[in-house]
Amino acid sequence: METYEYSDLKYLEEKNNFFKKLLFQSPDLIFQFNLPKKGKLHFSFLSKSVITHFELAPHEKSNDAITVLKSRILPEDYLGFLQSIHESRLHREWIHEFRAVLPIRGLRWYKATATVCSNEDGSVDFYGKVTDITAYKEQELRLKLSEQRFLFALEASSEGIWDLDVKTQKVFYSSQSMKMLEFEAKDTIDSIDMWDNRVHPSDKEQYLVDIQLHINNVTPYYENAQRVLTQSGDYKWILSRGKIIERDARNRPLRIIGTHTDISVQKEKEKVLQQTVEIVGAQNSRLLNFAHIVSHNLRSHSGNIKMLLDIISEESDEEIIRESFTHLRSSSHALTQTIDHLKELVEIQTELIHKRENLNINTFLGKTLDILAEEINKNKVVIKNNICSEQTITFNPAYLESILLNFTSNAIKYSHPERRPVISYSMVVKNSQKILKIRDNGLGINLERHGKKIFGMYKTFHKNQDSRGIGLFITKNQIEAMGGTVAVQSQVGKGTTFKIYFNE
Amino acid sequence: MSKFKEVFVVDDDKVFHFIIKKLFTKNNIEINPSFYLNGLEAIETIKEKIDQGTSLPDLILLDINMPIMDGWQFLDEFRQTRKTKPDEKTVIYLVSSSDSQSDINKAKEYQDQIKDYFFKPMTLEDLQKIF
Repeated sequence: METYEYSDLKYLEEKNNFFKKLLFQSPDLIFQFNLPKKGKLHFSFLSKSVITHFELAPHEKSNDAITVLKSRILPEDYLGFLQSIHESRLHREWIHEFRAVLPIRGLRWYKATATVCSNEDGSVDFYGKVTDITAYKEQELRLKLSEQRFLFALEASSEGIWDLDVKTQKVFYSSQSMKMLEFEAKDTIDSIDMWDNRVHPSDKEQYLVDIQLHINNVTPYYENAQRVLTQSGDYKWILSRGKIIERDARNRPLRIIGTHTDISVQKEKEKVLQQTVEIVGAQNSRLLNFAHIVSHNLRSHSGNIKMLLDIISEESDEEIIRESFTHLRSSSHALTQTIDHLKELVEIQTELIHKRENLNINTFLGKTLDILAEEINKNKVVIKNNICSEQTITFNPAYLESILLNFTSNAIKYSHPERRPVISYSMVVKNSQKILKIRDNGLGINLERHGKKIFGMYKTFHKNQDSRGIGLFITKNQIEAMGGTVAVQSQVGKGTTFKIYFNE
Repeated sequence: MSKFKEVFVVDDDKVFHFIIKKLFTKNNIEINPSFYLNGLEAIETIKEKIDQGTSLPDLILLDINMPIMDGWQFLDEFRQTRKTKPDEKTVIYLVSSSDSQSDINKAKEYQDQIKDYFFKPMTLEDLQKIF
């Protein structure tokens, strides 16, 4: 047993008083209570700040601890509070969160932390402090609410979320982002490469440039539309957007958060729109071109007619008058033909639904070769027909006839003078699209020079009476009216191949 | 009456050949032009002339829209071909039914080679400008 001198005891008592005073005045909410083995809980010490904070009136201060606690703790939390004290008596520490209702300041949140000490008599002392955590709790609640709102918004929209930790290069991909790539719709943390390696090679450079621009603070946020490879091996157009939300002391990004939006449908629509614009543009320029051809031919024939009439009215030589009449007849015929072409073309353009039938190509080719029999014999043309006798296409019969006639007569007309003309026909199917090829070994066309106007100006100004004049122009319009396209390959001096792509 | 010795008419319209001949006769232009149906026929004759050492035509009435070789291609070819005959002068007029802006603009690109652009039908004033 230890013994103390009187002066030591005096000193300890003074020291104890000093600490008591100090604790009593402390702004922290400091308490000590004792839980006897049998009997009621009572406060051994409450700092002044506890009394003021919990708004205890002078008459309440003398009340027993249970009464005080009951008067302040929210009824729903009261039993839990007592229970946690009882449970902690066997432990070294007591931590408990609870709510209290203060007479003036109303409902508040608290956290009590205490050290638990068992005494020899079986009672237990709790001493520690209470912290007002109302502000923290409110913050937490707001955060929870906004998180719920955010989650709800995410689920409701089809947007995916990504969150990049720049240091580790790990990315949180939300379930929607994973779903876009056709993975199981589950929030995932994976490396940044998981996504980057899927970006289409043609889109990658711009993607990296766009991110860098934002990192360098040039753009307020990052945005890039990219094609991304999905699990099924197809590319999807995804709009990726993001913003740096945390930078280090040297202004380097630490965290970037963003969204993924599937814009495949918009991109598809954009593409269709672009194609439509191109078709309309091409059609427009062809029509303008056609207007020039018509204007040119009308002017040319009507000019001739005027001049011939002048000659006839002034000439006395019978022979010259007779010759003038012959020319007059051919000019008049050419004029009629130009007008017929114009009519034919207007019909193609204004026909809303073009008749379609299942046609045997060989039957139509046979007809064409019959019509051109005289030309074919005269020029000793060799016809090579490689089209299978059963081959059919769904097309407009009048257009098919016109197309075969135009390409064949052109091939004869522009045959090479130094060799026997050979025209071959074949049909191939590529990606379930039928392609008719008509190849000749004629003069060929300088595509570098005439490529753009081959179906327009070039070869369309023949004033020869046997010429169909604007044949190729009409042919192209007929093919396009049926949803098809036509392409040409040619080498000057070697020959020309026309390819007609049908759209059934 | 003509200040030109040799005249080429390059046009694929045979009716125009007949008309121009009559137009010359009617206006006392004593000239017998050579007719060509496209640029290629004309350029081949010109090449033969150079090979034979004979002089080039001093006047060409040139159509624009012709099959096989059009007026513009002819001008390109002729620019190359005539390099061996730098001293000889050939006056070229475009005679066309085309009034399209693109042809008129293109004529400006060739203005070092062509003297004027006449629209068909040719008038007496046009002829007086030439002769």
